[in-house]
Amino acid sequence: MALPPTQAPAAGEYAGDEISALVLDCGSCSTRAGFAGEDTPKSVVPTNHASLSSGERLFGENAIHLPRADVEIRNPYNADGLVEDWDTASKLWEYTVTSRLTGARQTPPTRNGLNDDKDENGDVNMEQEAERREDEQDSPLAEYPLLMTEQPWNPVKAREKTMELAMEEWGVPAFFLAKNGQLAAYSQGKATALVVDVGHQNTSVTALWEGMVLKKSLHHAPLAGNWLNNQIRAMFATQQPPVPLVPHYMVKTKQPVDANSPSNATYVQFAKPPPDSFRRLEEERVLTAFKESVVQAWHGPGRLEAPPAPHAPNGFSNLDHVRSLPPRPFEMPDGWNTVFGADRFKVVESLFDTRAAYPSSDQPTPKPEDAIPSLVNRAVSACDVDTRPHLLNNIILTGAGSLIEKLPDRLQTDVQAMFPNPKVRVLANSNAVERKFGAWVGGSVLASLGTFHQMWVSRQEYEEFGAGVVEKRCK
Amino acid sequence: MPPFRDDQILIISPGSQTTLAQLGLPESFTPARYRLRSRMFAAEKRGEYEAVKIRRKEKSKESKPETDGEGTDGVEQSEQKQEDDENEWEEDRVSEEGAIWPMQSGRIADWPCFYALMEHVYNTVNPPFHTPVLLIAQPVWTLKDHERVTQFFFEKFKVPAFGLMDSAMATSYAYGLSNATVVDVGYQKADITCISEFMLQNVGRGLAVPDCGGEAMTQRLVQLLSGRKGFSRDVCEQLKKSPVCEILPPDVEMPGDEPASAGGADNPAAAASTGADGAVPGQRKGSGLDLPRGPGPNTEVGEEKKLEDDEGVLDIASIVTGGNMSEYLAQKEREKQEKAVAKQQQKKGSDAQQQAAARPPRLPNHKRTRNTFIYEDFALHDAMKKAGVTSQGMTEMQSALGDGPNKRQKTPEPQSAVSEKPADDAFDGVVDKGPSGGFRREIEVGTERFKAADGGILDRLADAIHRTIQACGDVNKRGDLWDSLIILGNGSRVRGFQEALLDTLNKKYIISPSSATIFTSELPSNLSTPMATGANTPQPQMPGQQQSHHGGVNPLLLAATTAQNPQLHPSGSVMGQSTHGQHMHSSHAQTPTSIKLAKIPEYFPEWKEVGYDEASFLGAQVAAKVLFIVDGGQSNGYMTRTGYNEQGPNGIHECML
Repeated sequence: MALPPTQAPAAGEYAGDEISALVLDCGSCSTRAGFAGEDTPKSVVPTNHASLSSGERLFGENAIHLPRADVEIRNPYNADGLVEDWDTASKLWEYTVTSRLTGARQTPPTRNGLNDDKDENGDVNMEQEAERREDEQDSPLAEYPLLMTEQPWNPVKAREKTMELAMEEWGVPAFFLAKNGQLAAYSQGKATALVVDVGHQNTSVTALWEGMVLKKSLHHAPLAGNWLNNQIRAMFATQQPPVPLVPHYMVKTKQPVDANSPSNATYVQFAKPPPDSFRRLEEERVLTAFKESVVQAWHGPGRLEAPPAPHAPNGFSNLDHVRSLPPRPFEMPDGWNTVFGADRFKVVESLFDTRAAYPSSDQPTPKPEDAIPSLVNRAVSACDVDTRPHLLNNIILTGAGSLIEKLPDRLQTDVQAMFPNPKVRVLANSNAVERKFGAWVGGSVLASLGTFHQMWVSRQEYEEFGAGVVEKRCK
Repeated sequence: MPPFRDDQILIISPGSQTTLAQLGLPESFTPARYRLRSRMFAAEKRGEYEAVKIRRKEKSKESKPETDGEGTDGVEQSEQKQEDDENEWEEDRVSEEGAIWPMQSGRIADWPCFYALMEHVYNTVNPPFHTPVLLIAQPVWTLKDHERVTQFFFEKFKVPAFGLMDSAMATSYAYGLSNATVVDVGYQKADITCISEFMLQNVGRGLAVPDCGGEAMTQRLVQLLSGRKGFSRDVCEQLKKSPVCEILPPDVEMPGDEPASAGGADNPAAAASTGADGAVPGQRKGSGLDLPRGPGPNTEVGEEKKLEDDEGVLDIASIVTGGNMSEYLAQKEREKQEKAVAKQQQKKGSDAQQQAAARPPRLPNHKRTRNTFIYEDFALHDAMKKAGVTSQGMTEMQSALGDGPNKRQKTPEPQSAVSEKPADDAFDGVVDKGPSGGFRREIEVGTERFKAADGGILDRLADAIHRTIQACGDVNKRGDLWDSLIILGNGSRVRGFQEALLDTLNKKYIISPSSATIFTSELPSNLSTPMATGANTPQPQMPGQQQSHHGGVNPLLLAATTAQNPQLHPSGSVMGQSTHGQHMHSSHAQTPTSIKLAKIPEYFPEWKEVGYDEASFLGAQVAAKVLFIVDGGQSNGYMTRTGYNEQGPNGIHECML
């Protein structure tokens, strides 16, 4: 569909071959953006932002990790993984796109100074230019169609608001809103699948039948990455001696010490220490390192704390088995170090067996039906009987929270135990990056498909029908 | 038959301060032939730029002294007659006052000016028609920026082919490493990039980390020396660049701890006249030569107070603007004569004293409480130009100030000689070197010169490095990344900077072997990580689309490191690099268990001489050779004119490395 260069593309018809769409995947931990057709998002920005006492908001890695006294670390999302602070969220999303992809100011090629038709004096028309500047300031993303992702349980109001934001504030020429579970399936090239997305705030399950989301199947629970962080904190507190969690920014230098001995470090002296929210953010960095290098899921079969099987020799339980494995050491930023044996398995166990959760003061006791296998069970049970074998055969595990070692194996054994009859197959991409950005990659695939062109909600349609059109078009 | 010739490739590497360029690839790669300041001056016409400052000559009030100045003025006078009351203009190649720097922290802030700069670079190099261009992109440039730059080059210069390469990627070509952490310390920012298995890690990349460049150190010096009058930003900048500014390793004690021990005790005369006891910064700081002034210091000091407001580094610029120049010059003249007399007396006087005076300078820099460096005063130059001082007057001023070395075009101090030498050698006069030719003076400075990096720059940088490596998706690769740290960039040039940064990293982040697993550490506890055994070919890391996209890097870099320098990589040692380091030394899965600087292959003598601070340019040459000659476009390493015509600027994303 090559158009002669003199002819502009017809309105409402966006040639993906010529203009690539933007894909914006918003999460409560990080925000991902990039052009459709790329393999990874080129812009990944933490959703946490620094809020200065002056009211200024700073975004990006470089801004949020500077220890200063007058900064609060905030997040525009609430505990349910939905946007609460729209003003900040929109600024953050804009930052994500402009900082790495489009640049702060948009200048279409016709007017970027290269092709200027100078008037007789060789001058640029100043008035026009000033006007244009203003225009650009108002609509930073006006050049590209935009595909955004949403949580499957995103309420109608929030969806309409997103659309309004994109159309009114950013002035996008076309827009689409897709559920992130759906996109994660597309990233694996599946149209029928059961997507288990372990994110930061929430784990969600989405059943997909031939590309369509089965609404009844949508379930989510707060047992995800952030929950795991809190479990680790709780575990640290129950250790004997308790594990000191000192983030990097407080430590100036450290000396090697024996395991479990008090640390021998010099600390940074702050005239006025940064607030707790900053400390918490920096502690999460340590916890992430802990999750990456120490934590592991019990691969099954059975629960970790299940009583020994009757036929097992000398009552050898799962826990005993885990205890016999070599423990893994972990060193804190201040040099304090120890080894973690069974505990490194126990912290994940609550994702599968809520009874095993470490009691924690700042987290409510989890409900048994929120465990990941139960979520899968509930989702599958809500679907038509005929679809179940197909869904169970295509369980896609995605989300950065799912990167815990052996977690896919455990999900496989647990779901298989639940549904012994059909073949259960858990598909987890071995590439960490693809699993982290599953929804984004799916969005990138979708938006670059030629057949997707007719799906876009164009500006014209929005102007005709209003924000309500999102409910009709983006299902 | 490769589509392009070695001698017809133009490489341009723009930076916030300096833009490097070179035409053609020599047999043995050399540092960039052209070093141009990344700045332009606004021309009279709006939207147009000039490469040198054009100054309006002020002639109204000072036309008299000018005419009796020199011969050249006569010519100018006649021109003036022709043009009646037209303004008179002159080029000022020294001054940078009012310059526009189109790149700020690597970001292109002023596009028209950036285009003008590129045009200036292009015209300076003046490549023959049909020369392909390889442009080294700053990491912070957005995708849109890449498109704009591509469009500019194709449409303005009609290049037959255009390549765009990330500067961190270029650095990895210079080092020939498959895994590396590139820490590029620039002017106002630092960029930290992980390259894992030839793939640039975009996620979590430390882009333009603010306040981590050379400027941060200058600002720190300004802050430290703010108590001493005259230490302006310019002075501090040059102090930072001078060899006396050093970052001491932690085990070396700062000499200031015992004030004025050596000098003060041995030679009271020197101490008295230099203020080496450090207590009174208000005293005159003489240069090294006239230390033992002996008999009559009192009178001198008394005189100086008039104009020099009891400071060594005085603001001569303000004297000039204040119109007291001639007085000042006269005073200086008197001073000089007195000095000469004093010196003669000195010579007649005891030899022993002289020896004593000569001794302190032999100490290494880090043992001396005070040391001197040479300062080129551009503010003065500007002030004088503005006041309409003739070049005769300028020379007078220079000789008046000439305590130190006083030729206008003099060999620069060692540190900057390093950077400018290749340019001088290779070319005669075409090169727009960094500013030189300001007024030179010696300035003395105390232990502040060791504290340039005290302002937290090392901690910030270390934190950003840690963060960047921890963000690398492949946990198993992080150990390798820590083991091949590349610190480069002109900001890291300050003596001792690299060592200090490494030391900070070591002290803060290194994970020591756990005493709890000392017995179990022999067990293969990392069985879960894939063992890279017998891999003869690099394993494809990313399945699916990524292959087609980035896979091209792999053979190219291999070609770069093997085809070109076979002696360096005996049979497949590149593979060895990618496989070793999978084993961790204890059962720690945590990183870093060790931190090392990567070694650069030292087979380019010219580079070795100069240092590898601009290794990204060396990498650019290697890459240009590979992309344009060896590979010849088969792996889509650059964009051709036809490609551009078909795809438009968008297409660059598929070729960009």
